[in-house]
Amino acid sequence: MHLNARKKLATDPWFITGVALVLIITILIIAGPRLAVHDPHDMSFQPLDHPSSQHRLGVNDGGMDILAELLFGIRNTVAFGLVTGITGMVIGVIIGLVCAWFGGLTDNFLMRLSDILMAVPSIMILILTAAFFRPSPASLGLILAAMAWPGTAKAIRAQAMVIKNSLHIQAARQMGASGSYIITRHMMPELFPLYLIGFASKARMAMFMEASLSFLGLFDPSRKSLGMMINYALKYYYLDIWWNWLMPPILCLTLLIMAVTFLAVSLEKVFDPRLKEVW
Amino acid sequence: MVNITINELSVTYRVNDHMLLALDQVGLNLLPGRITALVGESGSGKTTLGKTLMGLLPEYAKVEGSVKLNDLEIVGASESGLNGIRWSRVAMLFQNGAANLNPVHRIIDQVAEPLIHHNVAKKAESMARAQKALESMGLNPSLGRRFPHELSGGEIQRSLLAMALIMDPDVLILDEPTAALDAMTKAFVSRIILGARDNGKSILLITHDLDLAKNIADDLIVLYLGQVMETLPAKDLFHNPLHPYTLALGRSFPSMETHRDLGGIRGDAFFRVLHNHPKSNGSVLLHSHVVGASQYHETTHPPPKGCLFQPRCTQAVADCTEKDVFLMEVENHQVRCLRGGIATEFHLEKVAKKYGNVTALAPTSLSLRAGEIFCLVGETGSGKTTLGMIAAGCLKPDQGRRIFEGRDMDRWIKEDYLSLAGKIGLVHQHPAQAVSHRFSVFDIVEEPLRIKKQGLNKEEIQKRVIDALKDVHLSTEPEFINRYPHELNMGALQRVCIARALVSKPSMLVADEPTSSLDPSVQAKVLKMLLNLQIEKGLTMLFITHDLGLARKIGDRVGVMLKGRLMEAGPTAQVMGQPGHPYTRLLIAGARGEIETTSFERESSQSQGCPFTSRCDRSQKCCFLSFPKPICRDNGGHNVWCHFPLI
Repeated sequence: MHLNARKKLATDPWFITGVALVLIITILIIAGPRLAVHDPHDMSFQPLDHPSSQHRLGVNDGGMDILAELLFGIRNTVAFGLVTGITGMVIGVIIGLVCAWFGGLTDNFLMRLSDILMAVPSIMILILTAAFFRPSPASLGLILAAMAWPGTAKAIRAQAMVIKNSLHIQAARQMGASGSYIITRHMMPELFPLYLIGFASKARMAMFMEASLSFLGLFDPSRKSLGMMINYALKYYYLDIWWNWLMPPILCLTLLIMAVTFLAVSLEKVFDPRLKEVW
Repeated sequence: MVNITINELSVTYRVNDHMLLALDQVGLNLLPGRITALVGESGSGKTTLGKTLMGLLPEYAKVEGSVKLNDLEIVGASESGLNGIRWSRVAMLFQNGAANLNPVHRIIDQVAEPLIHHNVAKKAESMARAQKALESMGLNPSLGRRFPHELSGGEIQRSLLAMALIMDPDVLILDEPTAALDAMTKAFVSRIILGARDNGKSILLITHDLDLAKNIADDLIVLYLGQVMETLPAKDLFHNPLHPYTLALGRSFPSMETHRDLGGIRGDAFFRVLHNHPKSNGSVLLHSHVVGASQYHETTHPPPKGCLFQPRCTQAVADCTEKDVFLMEVENHQVRCLRGGIATEFHLEKVAKKYGNVTALAPTSLSLRAGEIFCLVGETGSGKTTLGMIAAGCLKPDQGRRIFEGRDMDRWIKEDYLSLAGKIGLVHQHPAQAVSHRFSVFDIVEEPLRIKKQGLNKEEIQKRVIDALKDVHLSTEPEFINRYPHELNMGALQRVCIARALVSKPSMLVADEPTSSLDPSVQAKVLKMLLNLQIEKGLTMLFITHDLGLARKIGDRVGVMLKGRLMEAGPTAQVMGQPGHPYTRLLIAGARGEIETTSFERESSQSQGCPFTSRCDRSQKCCFLSFPKPICRDNGGHNVWCHFPLI
């Protein structure tokens, strides 16, 4: 099945769309500072200026170039998503493997902890933490990751327990393989699809969460972000700014989440053992 | 009454500037009324020994040691002295039938010749005696008037026997007396030989027909390249050989008694040359070499040391190449083996295993000898796999001891599992599940080496993997070794698994139903390959199967299990041919497809007694109360755990 995956992905419209979106976003992120022309923090322009050749998307109420804000906002959102997604996935994989490998009390404790975390709405915790402690966006991302691992951990644990008792691992044990060998050579590669899926779902959730938090104004106001742009734009919705100020951040956020979702769905279809075709 | 005593007899033939060592310090006794059989491959010196007793060796043969006929020394005796005993006291039946007869004389003249030559009788009387001798061989009375070319092979052989017996000698040397004979004639000749034995003659039977040797001889002497490897009671030949060479000879012979497919002996050895080497310090070193098809005689090489059979032996250890080996007494055999005969590779002593309340294995003892295939058969749930996994070291028994190559296995597992794991290969029942589908063929076969980290570099690992794949007759093309399991068929995949089990060069292979997922033709291929591997590598094999037909074809010994207990264990031919346990009989009937006689019991009785009682027609009260102690048949080689065994 792992060999057919490539062929299958190449013909999957979800995957192609997702990859195309990711490519566009990557270009925007890398080329962002160049495309922006203006400094996003430069407040010297005519506030609420309409789009012109100087300011493609116009100027906001604070006299800042909207295009520049947008490009820097995307970078921040994606960075937040990546940090949270990767950290959440790593924590989830480690905890899942630990539970599956050791079982018993460790497993029981960690699984009950994950149940608790799943029951608590993370947005509440994040709002409270952000409001009281004013942490940096990076630490907020880590806090989110620390609450987002249970899903991945449970999926990894379930699959790892199945693999752990499979015959080829018993065979490797008989050959004298150590625990670390079995985990790194046999179990980790086998679980690979779950990493992707875990990462995608975490990153998607994190980007949306970042937008929500900044929309609520819980981040440093000087930090450019898509959520905050939407927030400000909404204040002037009675002006004719929706297409140049309100829509771009909303569209960008939607495309970001779509890109990750499309990728996750297509990868899940191909890799999830439960959906896999019998070969 | 004549005793022949042979002491330290060595015979060397001088050929060109080299010497052929035909016999090396052979000692044996021929006693009146006993048949001693000499067996061994061609070139082992059997015929040379026979000819020495007659003083018939060519001039270029050098004889050392002594051969005594009572007090008369034959070695070095004068031609006239020898003529006095030839035919009258020691007679020989030569091999190659008609070649020993003069084609221009009638048969009867040749049979009567010894009598006339020794002046025992007048011509007329001699002819009459010869005629009688021929008739006593069951030959047509008019046959004596014919010429040798007018006789069939059987008639010639019987005429030669008549000739050998005509002077009523005390010692009879029979060189391949039945080599070219059909079964009926062979039986007739055997009867005559037995008759001669009963008349008090000492008989030396030189033969490669092991069935004949086993059936009519009393003692067996196994010769290998001029050395006595083992002397044993003839009846032990197939069931209890102690030297690996004797075992291998027995396996190579198409006996009517064994069911197993023919094996062979790996490698070859044609003869031994003896020669001098000038050494650097001026002295001269006299030493011998074994010459075979693949070994040529080179001028620079160290003199061979140690056991002669060692290059072909399946249980050779480092010492075997270094130390001198002498005949030693083991049981009632004499064995020339450093390891005291065939070693016990693996021994289980009262191992038991429970899963919760369910007894998977009641205390069971089992020994596997080096180089044998032991088949475990039985119904599902009989504990075969549990026993196999305990043997492979992946399952820890609740009680009992496991001894592998003379070391306590449990301690070994604790101390250094990796080195133990390299010595035991395991083949699983389901090849597709036993390999990771993310591994290529190369990765799969390489895995044991990768785990063991034996300090091999990349090329060495590559070579070992390729060799292992060659061993199991798989392609070694890069195109193949980079394939993934799902691209292979089951037969190929199972062979990949076998290659994986063999790549670390184990000494024992545990195979759990290795062919049950294969179709018959692929199964046949895999089994043939396994048998060949077993001969080439001398693997000890624990073969778990539910297929009795299979066990019969490949097993040296077979163990029958039921509900975690061994019911019967013994040589395959005996267990299959004359089962001692009613359960074995039932299993065989089931395997034959005689369904009306079989019954299948569903509920499990966890009682103290025999687990077969509820289905057994011989069961009595004691069967329900206690599990019987084993009853030994045939020297303990065949054990039956039954209160009322069959026969």
